[in-house]
Amino acid sequence: MRAFEYANPNTESEAVDLLQDHDGHTAVLAGGTDLVSLLKTEVLNVERVVDVKNIESMYGVQPDGDGVLIGALTTLEEALESPLMAEYRAVLDVIDETRAIQIQQMGTIGGDLCHLPNCWYFRNHYGLLGMDNGESLPQEGDNRYHAVFGNSGPAKFVSASRFAPGMIAFGAKVRVVGPEPDQEDFLPLEHFFIAPKTDTQGVTVLKPGQLMTHLWLPAAGRKRSATYEVLQLQGLDWPLAAAASCVEVYDNVVRDARIVMGHVAPTPWIADQAATAIIGKPINEETANMAADIAVADATPLSNNGYKVQLARTAVKRSLLKAVGKLEI
Amino acid sequence: MRLLLDRATEMKIGGNRPSGFGNVTIAADADGKITGWDSNHWGTDGIGGSTISVTQIPYVFDIDHRHRAASGIRTNCGPKAAWRAPNHPQLCAITDTAIDDLAAKLGMNSYDVFMKNLDLTATVGRPDVYAEEMKIGAKLIDWQAKWHPHGKGGGGSVKRGLGMALHRWGGSAHPASCKLRIHPDGGVESLQGTQDLGTGTRTIIAITVAETFGLNVEDIKVRIGSNQYPFARGSGGSTTVGGVSGPNRRAGLAALWKLSDLVAAKYDVDAESLKAKSGKFWSGDKAVCTWKQACALIGAMPIEFEGKGPEKDGLTSVTVGGVQMADVSVDTETGVVRIHKLVAVQDCGLILDELTARSQVLGGLIMGLAYAISEERIMDDKTGRFINADLENYKLPKIGDIGELVAHMYQPASEYDRGVVGLGEPPVISTGACIANAVANATGVRVPVLPMTPQRVLEALKGGAA
Repeated sequence: MRAFEYANPNTESEAVDLLQDHDGHTAVLAGGTDLVSLLKTEVLNVERVVDVKNIESMYGVQPDGDGVLIGALTTLEEALESPLMAEYRAVLDVIDETRAIQIQQMGTIGGDLCHLPNCWYFRNHYGLLGMDNGESLPQEGDNRYHAVFGNSGPAKFVSASRFAPGMIAFGAKVRVVGPEPDQEDFLPLEHFFIAPKTDTQGVTVLKPGQLMTHLWLPAAGRKRSATYEVLQLQGLDWPLAAAASCVEVYDNVVRDARIVMGHVAPTPWIADQAATAIIGKPINEETANMAADIAVADATPLSNNGYKVQLARTAVKRSLLKAVGKLEI
Repeated sequence: MRLLLDRATEMKIGGNRPSGFGNVTIAADADGKITGWDSNHWGTDGIGGSTISVTQIPYVFDIDHRHRAASGIRTNCGPKAAWRAPNHPQLCAITDTAIDDLAAKLGMNSYDVFMKNLDLTATVGRPDVYAEEMKIGAKLIDWQAKWHPHGKGGGGSVKRGLGMALHRWGGSAHPASCKLRIHPDGGVESLQGTQDLGTGTRTIIAITVAETFGLNVEDIKVRIGSNQYPFARGSGGSTTVGGVSGPNRRAGLAALWKLSDLVAAKYDVDAESLKAKSGKFWSGDKAVCTWKQACALIGAMPIEFEGKGPEKDGLTSVTVGGVQMADVSVDTETGVVRIHKLVAVQDCGLILDELTARSQVLGGLIMGLAYAISEERIMDDKTGRFINADLENYKLPKIGDIGELVAHMYQPASEYDRGVVGLGEPPVISTGACIANAVANATGVRVPVLPMTPQRVLEALKGGAA
């Protein structure tokens, strides 16, 4: 691990100030479940680590207008225990499936959304895009865990966020402060993620001096939701593919639907056509299969990850059935 | 000075299991009696340029008409290293999956085909033992009620199945010596240069000496892990328990005879009649003196006794085996394999401590299911790197993946008569094969490569029955 400055601000504005220096060579420390490993292995080298854990405003789940505001530092366990989160099954499903108590207690919602890719080329020092002598290693090498959607550009990794699909399905917004003093923006979570074109662009829209502080979820109302993650192992493991479905059902018929896949593309992957196709229909094995087929119809698997298309398809189908309590496996 | 590798380096240069693949043709008559074997193997052990040893193929079953060939492939990867029962898990998986496929082809119950061919295990002297172990295992996993023909694992997307396999291992005691020191105050020390890999070597030594002297385990001070102590070979390879228990028993008996002579002279009893039990010396039903009183007869200085081994005196022997059975389910839409139950019926001669023996079997099952469903070194073709040398992508099973484990120690009197045989390695051997057979039973499709990852399971399902 290389030496770095350690900053410990008490307010969001202090944090924003501290994140502006060093030309963006800074990192935000939340739960630290991934950042510390990245620093120790020198996959990530920064000149300043800004520990935001003293910023009280970034904690907790609270009612906010017609929805709930979740502090980015809210741990998985705190979210699981908050009565305000009870109707957001697609979010709680992920916490259940995270399983590792250590991650549930230390990991934060904000940390998950900003999690850097688990791509093994990135983690083995080939940069965010996994390039070697101008060649894309994910394209040419072992891509069994890589993207099957949105992979025509240089980014072939999959978004590591497990909460993003469910939150995007609910229409979440993210609160970003900085870089200007008192600057505050709420943007749809689906616009928060980017597929970088270069190794230095990162995986979110956050620029130097910007800090993601909160998530806002609209009231669940009649929405029923679920996330289905395909996990090889029952313990701490990254999903091979996932999907979240959020539906409004009246008289057994879907009136509104949103389906978002995870771990299949460099960003959370919204399956609009599949969602549209199920509107006006009941959710059952047949319609869920139909939506799942549509969701993966445009998949572009790489040389060694065709099986992930099947997994994504299954995740979509099962998340729909699970959302309405009809999943039987 | 101590040198330790960090985690990533340990994973990369600690050595590797050789890979072993094979195309097998197996022949049988209409009754399921195996009549011939032909196999062609390949694999790599890295820089060494060889693969698994095929001289033991077909594994355990000695088939009259057989032919096997192997090609080793040299790669620029690190060398091979011993991994719990070198060669055997691969040999067992190749052989016992072929036998299971044969049963499926014949439309027979796999259990019946294995049972019917146990006479072919005569060269390793085990037909009767395997038969008994199979019966116990079948009862513990409810084989007859739960088994179904391959591919009839249920109507939904999740299929359930049973599989079995069997294994053998040597388990001879390694060369070792010890020094047993008895103090005038009754204290007992056992000293040897052996090492405890975490398998309970200290416990085994203490139990051996304590039982010999009729003392409690906590009365024995065990000192190991130093070159200052008498020589013992490196621990590992199922050789340590036999290695250390023999010398301690021999030295203990010599010490006991010496003390008995002293007690006999002092208390005027027949030395031959003395027994040490419950902290006392007894002559028949009469307590003659306490252990401490006996030791006080030694004099001012402690007395020491050397123990050596192995010797051909019946305290240790060789050859153990076992039968394992698995109950698994396979999600045919995701390719995920889940373990419901693993049953291991294991013999190992005389058991010195059942708790640590069972612990070895349970540990073997866990390591076995790991290589069966998830654990794999992935070498990247493009960079030539061991690309998953971390604990996120080098996938080891967690508590939730393990299912119910049943370790049944097979211990009729005939096993006790065999003396101590090493147990550390054998329980890991047939786990992969029996899980692979259970997956085939569930789905009707052979997943031909371990670990059976979702990718491999889905690809096998896509390809149809093997």
